[in-house]
Amino acid sequence: MAQTHGSKQQAQRLEQGAESLRHGAQAQSRENNVSLSTVSHADEPSQRDESSRLTVRMENTYQLGPTKPFPVATVNHILEDVLTTYLQEAQYDPEFCRQMTKTISEVIKTQVKELVIPRYKLIVIVYIGQRDDQSIVIGSRCLWNPKSDTVSSYTFKNSTFFALANVYAVYFE
Amino acid sequence: MEGYQRPCDEVGFNADEAHNIVKECVDGVLGGNDYNENNINQWTASIVEQSITHLVKLGKAYKYIVTCAVVQRSPYGFHTASSCFWDTTSDGTCTIRWENRTMNCIVNVFAVAIVL
Repeated sequence: MAQTHGSKQQAQRLEQGAESLRHGAQAQSRENNVSLSTVSHADEPSQRDESSRLTVRMENTYQLGPTKPFPVATVNHILEDVLTTYLQEAQYDPEFCRQMTKTISEVIKTQVKELVIPRYKLIVIVYIGQRDDQSIVIGSRCLWNPKSDTVSSYTFKNSTFFALANVYAVYFE
Repeated sequence: MEGYQRPCDEVGFNADEAHNIVKECVDGVLGGNDYNENNINQWTASIVEQSITHLVKLGKAYKYIVTCAVVQRSPYGFHTASSCFWDTTSDGTCTIRWENRTMNCIVNVFAVAIVL
């Protein structure tokens, strides 16, 4: 039964691939997509609101660069404040840390937004891992304009776990 | 210019397409390997580099940010979350979770549209 199910999914995947080729860059309808990946942890799926897909046509600004550079040092300070405030006295606990990654990423995003930096899009990623006999390597690479786009990063450590927060700022011209 | 199509006419970022591309990159780099501290830096760099290279070949008007975390398999915990401030009609993200006997790999891809 599992074998049959897998085969059906495989066939659907191939069909969708062909459809993508026929339509070039056209995005497929989300409802038709079937995912083959195996998810070990149950987590809230990232559902996108359908109403948010309405395309709003706006005029070009023709402004190729930011009016003021992204304040990396200020954002670094925000990261340090948030991580220290939320995690200073904490001991590692799986449920607490799972919730804390989400809370911290939202808080950091809110505080960076309050800086009101025009035309920058923000991406905040937070990692929390237990400190013990395990090895972790985290790397990232970006395709962007190095003159206007930048990243701010901070690592917090205590005796039981570490936390790493990255803020990527991407200019939208 | 009849055939010209504005990049943002597409209905946002195709997360499943990116998911397949990145999963192939991770399989290519980590498939069949056990966790090895000597190679792990090179593997991590290869994953993000190959992922971005293949995403660029899609020829879409996006800036990409790819992050990769490779964690040795163990009883100890590891959590990650992200939060974004962008235009949901054009920008998107996808997360790939890959694991084998000795390690877990989590790759996040963020695509940010360039132009209106």
